[in-house]
Amino acid sequence: MRKWSWSYINWRLTTAYPGGWKYALLHPVELIRDLNNYLDWCQKIDYQIYAEEKDA
Amino acid sequence: MLKIKIKDIEFNNPIIASSGTFGYGYEVADFVDLSKLGCVITKSITLEPRNGNSSPRIHESESGMINSIGLANVGVDKFCNNEIQKLNNINTKFIISIAGKKYQDYLDVIKKIEATKSNHVGYEVNVSCPNTSSGGMEFGVDAKMTHKLTSELRQETDKLLIVKLSPNVTSIGKIALAAESAGADAISAVNTFVGLSLDYKTGKFVLSNKFGGVSGPAIKPMALAKVYQIFNEVKIPIIGMGGISSFKDVIEFIRAGATMVQVGTLNYRDPAILSTFNNQIESFLKSINIDSISDLIGRHYEN
Repeated sequence: MRKWSWSYINWRLTTAYPGGWKYALLHPVELIRDLNNYLDWCQKIDYQIYAEEKDA
Repeated sequence: MLKIKIKDIEFNNPIIASSGTFGYGYEVADFVDLSKLGCVITKSITLEPRNGNSSPRIHESESGMINSIGLANVGVDKFCNNEIQKLNNINTKFIISIAGKKYQDYLDVIKKIEATKSNHVGYEVNVSCPNTSSGGMEFGVDAKMTHKLTSELRQETDKLLIVKLSPNVTSIGKIALAAESAGADAISAVNTFVGLSLDYKTGKFVLSNKFGGVSGPAIKPMALAKVYQIFNEVKIPIIGMGGISSFKDVIEFIRAGATMVQVGTLNYRDPAILSTFNNQIESFLKSINIDSISDLIGRHYEN
């Protein structure tokens, strides 16, 4: 994902937190922790996807 | 080559963005070419607005995720007033997912949507959400309740009526059969598996709701088994889902008996990946001399 529009970020925050971006702003530690977990997860998923592509 | 039909609706390809993983469906239009998707399914719409469960409600896990979002949505009135108009402008077909706590909720939601000028091609009836305190999955684990709900909804609409089933049952085939006999046009299978995650250091539950729905590549073999079981029970099309992360997974589900597939958890990584599947599937079909993806439905063999 190279381009995250506001509507996309808003959707992701609304999905993750009740209250969406307002909740995220009021809980920055939680936000940073979750973002870190998310980026780590993205790497694992990427590894799986690209391993599959190599296999194809 | 990739066109596929369910009832009288023709979809450009068999790839559907799964409910709850694509927002209402228009949020990603800035960077995803929606015309490359066969269809988009909205998040589940309920009679009343819902904030969903409290945080944390998403937990990334090995090979997937556990979520307990709890059907967060604006409610059917706001959906009809604000969201449908935006959805009417998206560049692909869309289906509206509906959910409720009791029979009347589902009926009221569908009646309100039917009264609008919406271009949706059908409804996906969510009778399988594991993350609500009442309703939801209760309807999908009991064949009689599934039959009653489906037949009542059938009387309200001529559009596609798709029933989304839970894998958390003993015999999913019997519940699919109940939906079919009540007039469903297709079965979506499967929703998430009930799961739990604990912090090994503190012993605390990771999700505020304790339990959540497990999705992603981890559940793919189990989801495939459910699709295969349903394929052997019903004649209506199956929309398969559960851990699809590549075009090969799409082919596997179609060979197991699915007519179309839904992709969900992968959208949390990058919704744009879905639009890359078409070329890969076309190349694969050419390589095995198959003219149409529909020729692969249920084409599996003994080892």
